[in-house]
Amino acid sequence: MRVRAMVAAGLVLLGSAAARAETVRVTAAYYSDKTGPYFEQMAQQFHAQNPGIDIRIEVVNWDNLLQKLQTDIAGGTNADISIIGTRWLLDFVKDGQAEALDGYMDQAFRDRFIGTFLAPGQIGGKTFGLPIAASARALFYNKSLFAKAGIGAPPATWDELRQDAVKLKAQGIAGFGLQGKAIETDVYWYYALWTYGGDVVRDGHAAFESDAGVAALNMYKGLIDAGLTEDGPTNYSREDLQNLFKQGRVAMVITAPFLINQIAAEAPGLEYGIAPVPKQARNATYAVTDSVVLFKNSKVKQAAWKFLDFLFTRGPRVTFNRNEGFLPTTKAAAADPYFTTNARLQTFVDLLPDAHFAPTVTGWEDTAKAVSDAVQAVYVGQMPPAAALKQAAAIANEALGK
Amino acid sequence: MRGRAGRRKAAAWLLVLPSLLLALAVLLYPFWEILRLSVSDVSRFGQVRGFVGLANFARVFADPVFRAALLRTLVWTGAVVGGTVLVSAGVALVLRQDFVGRGLARVLVMLPWSISLSMAAIVWLWAFDGDHGMVNTTLRTLGLLHGNVQWMARPATAFPVEIGAGILVSVPFTTTILLGGLSSIPGEIYEAASIDGATRLQSFRHLTLPLLRGFVNIAIVLNVIYVFNSFPIIWVMTQGGPDNGTHILVTYLYEVAFRLGRPGPAAAVSLVMLAIVFAATLLYVRLQRERA
Repeated sequence: MRVRAMVAAGLVLLGSAAARAETVRVTAAYYSDKTGPYFEQMAQQFHAQNPGIDIRIEVVNWDNLLQKLQTDIAGGTNADISIIGTRWLLDFVKDGQAEALDGYMDQAFRDRFIGTFLAPGQIGGKTFGLPIAASARALFYNKSLFAKAGIGAPPATWDELRQDAVKLKAQGIAGFGLQGKAIETDVYWYYALWTYGGDVVRDGHAAFESDAGVAALNMYKGLIDAGLTEDGPTNYSREDLQNLFKQGRVAMVITAPFLINQIAAEAPGLEYGIAPVPKQARNATYAVTDSVVLFKNSKVKQAAWKFLDFLFTRGPRVTFNRNEGFLPTTKAAAADPYFTTNARLQTFVDLLPDAHFAPTVTGWEDTAKAVSDAVQAVYVGQMPPAAALKQAAAIANEALGK
Repeated sequence: MRGRAGRRKAAAWLLVLPSLLLALAVLLYPFWEILRLSVSDVSRFGQVRGFVGLANFARVFADPVFRAALLRTLVWTGAVVGGTVLVSAGVALVLRQDFVGRGLARVLVMLPWSISLSMAAIVWLWAFDGDHGMVNTTLRTLGLLHGNVQWMARPATAFPVEIGAGILVSVPFTTTILLGGLSSIPGEIYEAASIDGATRLQSFRHLTLPLLRGFVNIAIVLNVIYVFNSFPIIWVMTQGGPDNGTHILVTYLYEVAFRLGRPGPAAAVSLVMLAIVFAATLLYVRLQRERA
């Protein structure tokens, strides 16, 4: 009798503890119109399993995300968890904003991830960010336009790409979509730089001002001057190019796997294939991860971690990747039939061994900006490639590693 | 007597004090913060790491992009304000005439005022789209253009387009001021002038212009402040690019603060901007007073 009473009292106490719900605030990046509903759904599922924890989701546009986080953090009103671009992680860590997650992770949790994708979130031997999204880049080509110009296979090298673009031009088709505006203008040129054997940063210094860099930039400039790209590349952002491709107005574009989902939704009739980025000296692609971080000033770290743990289980991961068209970052998700039977996504997965990640060094944003400015100056004919790259390297070196 | 007056004065100060303090807090606190950031080494997230003196200013002035943006801001402000006042003066003179549908015309001129600058910029961006834009299509239809012009692809074409958009969005406000000025001029003096044999041009030069001067001044000063600090048009249309070719100070400031994450130098830029606007306004008011 007495024992039962004690148990009952204990249960009541437990119950009251559970009733004092904790709220975990999450800032999520907007990937597509499915992102918000996905996180809301996950929050509900998680709450059903953990009635003591409420999850509040806020979805923010990529363009404003960093600015919002900066403002929130400066004002002390940041969420508990946020998705960030992995390239920003170092700034968060240096300022002591991000919590090291190693204390929360056991080996089993670590083993859930594909190793390549866990590495970019680690700084100084500690894990600060978990890879929530990953993508690589490949060449999308329009099969109908290729057939019209009498081209059988996608170009394997940049020389072949140029020849194909000449044939396409004869049919009045813009061959190669070249990005020259807004975020990732620099990356679009790195594709060529890397395949020519060059590097962006080496040993903490700008390395793109090299023979490979000049050759790669000359090659792009040659395509523009010969009219083998869309008209006025500096007028086209990545999204603009993807739209041109969906409309069948440009025959080739290099971009991430999420274009597959966009095409399925917006241009289901489009006949296209996916091939590796054309090579010169070597194969290369750009791989990007976005990280989810836990803020040091969070007052509900355990609850927040529980939600992270939930997000990285198989079900939520598969749904997320499928919704957004990203590559799997966990082994369980990669083993899902959705990926193993999807030839298009496999093209991207196969490229990963040759992938370059953005290095976690300070000054990466400055470097990106300097290179974007330089290639723009070349694209519009304001500066010759060698001089433009030299100037950009000087600017980048001032910011790198500081 | 004196004690009483002193007490009254003290009471007056006491009564004014709360609002005075509020005003000072609202004005001085942000100013103080910016001042503090401008001489500090500040992290992306606003952590002050130390005092650096004028290093932020030195860094900003050493940046060729800043110097180019400074010069371009002067061109931008001059061209947009000058163009706006000229266009608005014409529009206001027309709208003052009595004609059928004047009410409608006035509404139409004022209507764009209610559109946010960003929306207006997006609309103009579409209008100047290289492939499907209204401008290229019209020029082609008229036979003035073969092929397409990618207006936004080069600073040399993008910046004038932005100035044009800047003028168009500033016209409604300026027209309102000038129209108010015109309606304050009594019609009789024109009658008197025409009886004395003045031509319309003469009465415009010797009556309308001098009487309108105060309003033109207000329009210029307010527009200089707005246009100098106008962010949306350039940011929406070109984000200061390509190759930094369309940056004005305020877009440069945004880029330094939020793209590159350097609050210190950004605070320095904003102080420079404040000083310029302040100096320009003082100078202008001074000039006008001397002339008058």
